[in-house]
Amino acid sequence: MSSDRQRIPLRIAGKRAYVWDVDDIATIRAQYRLCGVLTGTLPHLSQQNAFLGVPLVLMPEEVALLLEIDAAVLIDDPKSHIQPTMPELQRWNAGQQESIRAQVAFTETKSARESANAGRAMSEDALRKRKEREERKKAEASRLAEIAARSDGDLLALSEPTPAQAPPIHSDPAVSAAGNQTEPLSSIPYAVVVSAPSSSFEWYNPSGRFYSSLEDARAAGVWDYPSTLEERARCGVFSGLWKQGFFMGGGIKFGGDYLVYPGDPLRYHSHFAASVLVSPISALRPMEIVAHGRLGTATKKAHLLCGWDDEKQEVSYLSIEWAGFG
Amino acid sequence: MDDTLELPNAIAPKVSLADAIQEEDEQSSDGEDGGLDWTKLIPEAVRPVIPKRGEKEFEPKAGGGSNLQLHVLDRARSAMLEALRATRTTSSKAISYGVWQPSLARTHVTVARGIHFSSMGHSAPRSLLGENGVEKIQKRLELLPEEAIYLIERGSMFCWKETDLNLTEVSGAFEVLGAPMSVQQGYSEMIGTEDLTLDRFQVFSYLKRLGYVVTRTKPPTSYYPTPPNTVIVNSAPSIFQRISSLFPTWASWLSRLCGSFDWWRPMRISRWLHHDKNYGSLFRSLRFIPSGHGVPLRQSKSVEVESPYQIFYNLYKPSTPFKKTAPPPPDFQIVVINARTTPMPTLQELTDLFDVLPELPTPLPRQRRPIPGTTNPAIPGPAVSENAAPTQTLNNANQLPPSLFRRLFPWAFPRPAVAQPLIPVRRPNPFMALKAGKKMVVIAVVDSGSISFFRFSQGAFTEWPMM
Repeated sequence: MSSDRQRIPLRIAGKRAYVWDVDDIATIRAQYRLCGVLTGTLPHLSQQNAFLGVPLVLMPEEVALLLEIDAAVLIDDPKSHIQPTMPELQRWNAGQQESIRAQVAFTETKSARESANAGRAMSEDALRKRKEREERKKAEASRLAEIAARSDGDLLALSEPTPAQAPPIHSDPAVSAAGNQTEPLSSIPYAVVVSAPSSSFEWYNPSGRFYSSLEDARAAGVWDYPSTLEERARCGVFSGLWKQGFFMGGGIKFGGDYLVYPGDPLRYHSHFAASVLVSPISALRPMEIVAHGRLGTATKKAHLLCGWDDEKQEVSYLSIEWAGFG
Repeated sequence: MDDTLELPNAIAPKVSLADAIQEEDEQSSDGEDGGLDWTKLIPEAVRPVIPKRGEKEFEPKAGGGSNLQLHVLDRARSAMLEALRATRTTSSKAISYGVWQPSLARTHVTVARGIHFSSMGHSAPRSLLGENGVEKIQKRLELLPEEAIYLIERGSMFCWKETDLNLTEVSGAFEVLGAPMSVQQGYSEMIGTEDLTLDRFQVFSYLKRLGYVVTRTKPPTSYYPTPPNTVIVNSAPSIFQRISSLFPTWASWLSRLCGSFDWWRPMRISRWLHHDKNYGSLFRSLRFIPSGHGVPLRQSKSVEVESPYQIFYNLYKPSTPFKKTAPPPPDFQIVVINARTTPMPTLQELTDLFDVLPELPTPLPRQRRPIPGTTNPAIPGPAVSENAAPTQTLNNANQLPPSLFRRLFPWAFPRPAVAQPLIPVRRPNPFMALKAGKKMVVIAVVDSGSISFFRFSQGAFTEWPMM
């Protein structure tokens, strides 16, 4: 269990690997130099495609690599979502009610204060002062929320198999400003939180659904990549380039299988568009070379042909660039 | 790919993009009816800010990068992660509620709020157990899995999962209708039901985020509203059309006139008639090989494997007036394929796709005032397809593919020496028409999360002979 704790849990559903925890995303990126693709709609910025949010979906090659270096553990996600028992549901509900009460109380005190201030909030000076006060209050609230979240996180960690981050339900600042009166709740709006990861639920239980090796996962029918020669070739090329220190992203928009970056794609341009050949002697049409050379040059990249030798388990690389002799 | 990877940059902008990107949904309208904008209550750090992307560098310094590079990278990463930590909070006055029923693969919407439901969800009759123990049929609002995940994910809906617990023991400010679901659970359990794959869901939410209305092409149940005449045949040409297309009319006319048609000497220049001594008729008589999309493809259906090239979504532009219960003909139709497992479409697959697609109107030249009296084929949609081409008057008939009548009796139409009609008539530019094609399908190619859209159209070269 202790070794599993350091391994990154990858939630597998429908043979796709998701990462729902932002800390895990950070580890995968910084420590293991893998990017994946963010796919979810970002809350509060839900009408744009420029920047997406959790979940991070990993390429199957990335999953195979993480398994190979013992950095990840696969979790059968659909089976980990168990129906809550009655006490669990009641506890969850109590937590919700508590949060709502706190929020309503906060709103009431706030609106009361505002109405008291209404008469003299006109002058510029007063406005400025109020702004300052509000900012101070906000900072205070966030500080308290952090504390509250931390303590709540500790409490929950006892009952949870995964090192959960603080459940977002409790991270609301209103919790700190709680008063305890019961009010008619229907009239005053409060915030409803839809949590992204399931780890905040007491009843989410992935224990016993861990698969730390490809063989185990394959036997359980959870994961089977790589299984064909083509998939083995892709994994071989991917890990070959990764071991040389490169970052890889999908290369479909550049006519290759991967884009190869010298550093984190956040900061650096890619140098190569790589395409995988399943064997070092597989046929290649001259037109492909022309197309790759042309596209690569136009985008300031060299095209990398990566031939996988399945018998020797090694990759040979060949790069194509326009010679430019006029 | 690049755009998903090279996103944030070191500079965390002071001005939050949240203000710039207007959310069109209930959250904004909610502020007006007295509700509180709860996003303002959340500590500043919790609100997502899209990190600005800036200039990238060529490569890191040897040994993993200079200190400055490492520092900048670190800031870029933390800016990205900070944006990812945003929580989904929605005002209780704006949020909808639904119950996910895995056995039906539907989410029953119990509280529907916001404008999303004007284009999402459909009503389905389900038998409910009434109070007195008698079953009765009642219509209710249901969501397909992709619609449900999308709404959960953007924080517009709180979803319960159906349970067999006695929920009367749980009470509070809101009714508990099952086990609360997270976004993760939505992905885990809903994808894979009702033909939904992750690829298809990603295409769906990508287009929804852009504001399109997306519906299923193939109705999952008979209750699902479909546009008129899209799924049903416009498809295969009739037998008569097939036969006649094998023998172009002029050829049959020629062969009838001059006895048997000689494939080695397709041109017969009549000694007595003068009308065929011009380029037009000469070229026309050279076109004797049946061509065009009316000619049926030679079928080689040896193995019946279902092609991955099936139209999955109907797409409506945000500007198209959309009525949920009676959807208009779609603006686009979309096929979703997986780049890793699906090869390029075969000719047969493309033909099968185009067979079920409606014909598009011929594009008109831009920026001309419309001529009164001509029908306007610029209306999108297949409804006008049939009469789109022959909208022109006889004056410029020579600019059009020769009509059946004309091909049958070419001598009745002496090629006018002065082809300029008196009134300038809007003529479709043949190259624009060829480029646009007569039928069009959009193919969304998904390679582990990155989506590219391709447009395949059926060019009708036979209908636009240059001579």
